[in-house]
Amino acid sequence: MDPSGVFFTNYAGDRSLIRTRKQWAFLIAFLVLFVTLPWWASDRWVSIGYTTFITAVAVIGLQICTGYAGQINLGQSAFMGVGAYGAALAMGTGWDALAALVIGGMGAATFGVLFGLTASRIKGFYLALTTIAAQALFHFLVLNLPQSWLGGAGGLHLESTSVFGISLNNDRAIYWFSLAILIAMTMGAFGIVRSRHGRSFEAVRDDDVAAGMMGIPVAATKARAFLVSSFYAGVAGGLWVVALRHVSVEQFTLFNAIWMIAMMIVGGLGSIVGALIGTAMIQLAREGVTSLGPSFVQWVPALGQDFVFAAMNVLLGAVIILFLLFEPKGLMYRIEITKKAFRIWPFPH
Amino acid sequence: MIDFLNYVINGFLQGQIYALLALGFMVIYRASKVFNFAQGELMMLGAYAVWTLTIGANIPTWLAIPLAFVCAIVYGWLIERLFFERLVGESVFSMVMVTIGLVILIRGIVMVVWGAADRSFPVLLPPAPFIVGDMIFPSSLVIGAFITLVTTIGMSWFFNRTRAGLTLTAVAEEPNTAISLGISVKRAVTLAWMMGSVIATAGAIVLLSGRSITVQTADIALASLPVALLAGLESIGGLILAGAIVGIVQVLVAAYIDPAIGGSASSIVPFVFMLLILLVRPTGLFGWQHVERV
Repeated sequence: MDPSGVFFTNYAGDRSLIRTRKQWAFLIAFLVLFVTLPWWASDRWVSIGYTTFITAVAVIGLQICTGYAGQINLGQSAFMGVGAYGAALAMGTGWDALAALVIGGMGAATFGVLFGLTASRIKGFYLALTTIAAQALFHFLVLNLPQSWLGGAGGLHLESTSVFGISLNNDRAIYWFSLAILIAMTMGAFGIVRSRHGRSFEAVRDDDVAAGMMGIPVAATKARAFLVSSFYAGVAGGLWVVALRHVSVEQFTLFNAIWMIAMMIVGGLGSIVGALIGTAMIQLAREGVTSLGPSFVQWVPALGQDFVFAAMNVLLGAVIILFLLFEPKGLMYRIEITKKAFRIWPFPH
Repeated sequence: MIDFLNYVINGFLQGQIYALLALGFMVIYRASKVFNFAQGELMMLGAYAVWTLTIGANIPTWLAIPLAFVCAIVYGWLIERLFFERLVGESVFSMVMVTIGLVILIRGIVMVVWGAADRSFPVLLPPAPFIVGDMIFPSSLVIGAFITLVTTIGMSWFFNRTRAGLTLTAVAEEPNTAISLGISVKRAVTLAWMMGSVIATAGAIVLLSGRSITVQTADIALASLPVALLAGLESIGGLILAGAIVGIVQVLVAAYIDPAIGGSASSIVPFVFMLLILLVRPTGLFGWQHVERV
């Protein structure tokens, strides 16, 4: 919703995503902040930055599948793994990192759409639960295909990666590369959700029987949601390989997929910006746990390291549940109403 | 031939143990339409409760197991009281999301209370096999399968024949109508979570007897998912057949196909089998066909 007083006199203005000068100012300020971060922040922040960006790409994909199309997807971590292996294989044979990301994304999308296609027969929770099979299949395939293909349990290792001839072997380069990809993927997501496909996702989420009667091909729409979502996961997986130059099966567990769902909930279902905010919040909280844990142990040595880490996990789990109970629409909703309250102040309505 | 027969019997018995784990999912689903992703965590909590009572506190087994069930009832009640009571009337989607939050929360709690170390679970069921002719029955599996059969038939009777069970079904189908008919939704959901926790504990005892437990033990419950989906999420009685099918197929694949391909195809056979069955029968073998209205 635009604030009152914002009117457009041409269609280009009405179609634009960034609608007011203030929004432009904030957007540019944020971009400058993130682009320049490696110059003024410590190396630790740089690595936190790119892990958050990479996770955010996967969570945006999940947001499209779950938040927009209403399909609970527990295979996101496995799809990410497929993308990671695809990208690793491509880069191993000398492909450019960017091309490898696309290859990884398409590999993951192919794997993901297999589960989406079952939507033509399977509905509701049965569909959500079959995505758990993606996890089992992924583990099985990686561990049982010939050792020379995917490296079995040891995983794949890459010597170096580069994009357009620029080497991606230091943290700063990885940071900027993943930031660029995240920006591109975010713009793509905004495009998708306000296109015809995005509208049909929302229609299917709200009531799939009614959507079908309106002429929306329900099963195809669900399959498409899985396709987009797993493409995003695949790209995130590819970035993961670029960052770590190593890929193995235990990096992609069902528990990771559950964390991604948690990030989406905290951010707010059905909002791309929500996915970004949720990812940032949870990642920062987890990083906080990792860095504050040891100093907390120093204050209260009786507790011990393990206890503090575990206690922080309890805290995070509780935060997620409390969000669902008391703020089920996520942080994004809270931000929206706060913004609205500021706009109309001092009037209540 | 006798090998084949042995495999089939073993598969049947193992399948019944998966059916017991699947029963935990199903009881909560039947009573509140919530698919509980934290069922494995409930099982793990039950396992740790049994461990604490038997090995930690050194209570004799005959007393420890009922006490563990009492614990299960208490934390089942607590979970409902703390989280699900507030969600009565909310969408099923948000309740399912809460169970996903519970996954992280319960794992954290277990790490806080018991730590990350491996613990050896007490041997509660006799491990020695008994042999009839040329056929070998591992007694722990036989007892486990017997427990499953009794519980499943009991639960099936409870949900389909008793007043309380039908009340639970009514709550799951139409919570608002149930409220207006004077049914206490809260009580029904509490009962569901208590039963779910107790069955999870029973599953832990049968499955883990003589093995070791860690936080990762919780993942085992998801292996029982194909059984639940194959039976159809509403059909408790169907679990016995679905468990038998999945177990027998898995054991036969492990015996005849795994050596040939040199891998563990048996670990994904249940999932592939489940997908194929669901493509033919989207609601499982015995699930209910719902007529949808807009």
